[in-house]
Amino acid sequence: MSSIDQSLSKTSAITECGIKTDTSLKEICLFLSEYSAWLLGSGATSIRLEKNVRRMAESMGCHAEMTILPRHIHMTVFLPDHSDSYTYIIATHPMPLNYDINTQLSRLSWSMADDHLTLKETQEKFEKIIKTPPANKYLVLFLASCANAAFCRLFTGDWAAVGVVFLSTLIGFYLRQVMTAHKVDVRLVFIICAFISSILASTATLFSFGHTPDIAVGTSVLYLVPGIPFLNSFSDLLNGHYICAFGRFVHAVVLTCCLSLGLCGGMLLMNLSMF
Amino acid sequence: MLPVIRALRGNVVDELKYVLAMLLQVLQDALFAAIAAIGFAAISNPPKKAYLLCAIIAAAGHSARYLLMNSSLFEIHIVAASAIAAFIVGTLAVILSPYGKMPAETCLFPSLLPMIPGIYAYKAFGGLMMCLSHGTETEFDHYFYLFASNGLTCLFILLSMVIGGTLPIFFFKNISFQATR
Repeated sequence: MSSIDQSLSKTSAITECGIKTDTSLKEICLFLSEYSAWLLGSGATSIRLEKNVRRMAESMGCHAEMTILPRHIHMTVFLPDHSDSYTYIIATHPMPLNYDINTQLSRLSWSMADDHLTLKETQEKFEKIIKTPPANKYLVLFLASCANAAFCRLFTGDWAAVGVVFLSTLIGFYLRQVMTAHKVDVRLVFIICAFISSILASTATLFSFGHTPDIAVGTSVLYLVPGIPFLNSFSDLLNGHYICAFGRFVHAVVLTCCLSLGLCGGMLLMNLSMF
Repeated sequence: MLPVIRALRGNVVDELKYVLAMLLQVLQDALFAAIAAIGFAAISNPPKKAYLLCAIIAAAGHSARYLLMNSSLFEIHIVAASAIAAFIVGTLAVILSPYGKMPAETCLFPSLLPMIPGIYAYKAFGGLMMCLSHGTETEFDHYFYLFASNGLTCLFILLSMVIGGTLPIFFFKNISFQATR
């Protein structure tokens, strides 16, 4: 009985979207590709991406399968009886991590499945979501500096070290924001920011502020550590998406190397040693 | 009899002092972890509701790790302690995230950020650089050891954190993938 119900609801969904013509299968595929490019770019794990896309495809009466490559998504949308299919390859959208967009896109996939939105309505909502402005950049700057200062305290730095770390993060992170806005290569940004932050933090050693100047230097660059790419990569690894996991891991390692390069340079210049 | 009682009382007082000092340390750890979580979460643009949740979850997780590693009761290695703490973080994130209609990762990953082994990561790279600039065998061995030990510790902490943190998502699959419904 339930299977008949299901098949009935599926056919009604099919007629609602008019999926039986070629163009709409193409439209669905293009939309789902765009959706996944944004979801992956905003920092979603691959298991969530797969689940969301499948949910949306099924609500429109078709199936979707995809391969997630480091910089591209290969999407195929097909009818349940395999009578027709459409394939598209899209480059992932390069953008800073944005969990706000990630959350809203996940909500969109559920509201499409539960409220039976048509493709057009969903697309309109999608266009609105991707225009969500990022958080106020001065607020982020302040919070990130506080966070790094708190981190210094967690690593048993004294209050002098905390103050130095706060200032060096404030300046380093501001530089990062300015350079990112000018579309400077992210690796170069990491090297320069780590270099400047570590030099500023090593003034604690230079003028002997407090008793833990070495902790100040060590924690001054921690705001650059790509934590979420590392976590995402290991999460993909556990889900068996090895290529995507490897791609994200290499990206995170490259960024960590850049930050260490900047830090080593700064310490060398200030005649400090890391160990 | 009297000296024994006195000694016992002294012991109890010492114990109490130790527990109080530990509690203070743990609370301080929780507070700074919460500040760190809010700030590092801000970098990844979370929805506004997530800030408070991240702060609470991260405070619980980080202070749990501190307790596991430093109290004389446990004294667990950092890798195992991170896994247990991440499991606590993951469970809290899965339970709390539906209240904000957010995917569990939105709360989970920013809350894990204060536990990321950043210092191990760049020390590993620093060790590698030093390997190249020091020619003799003993010096090379020393720096290669620093590279390998820091790098491996970093990798295993990350792995244990992610396993610990994502296990609850799979245990409570129904909650975690329908949170945004």
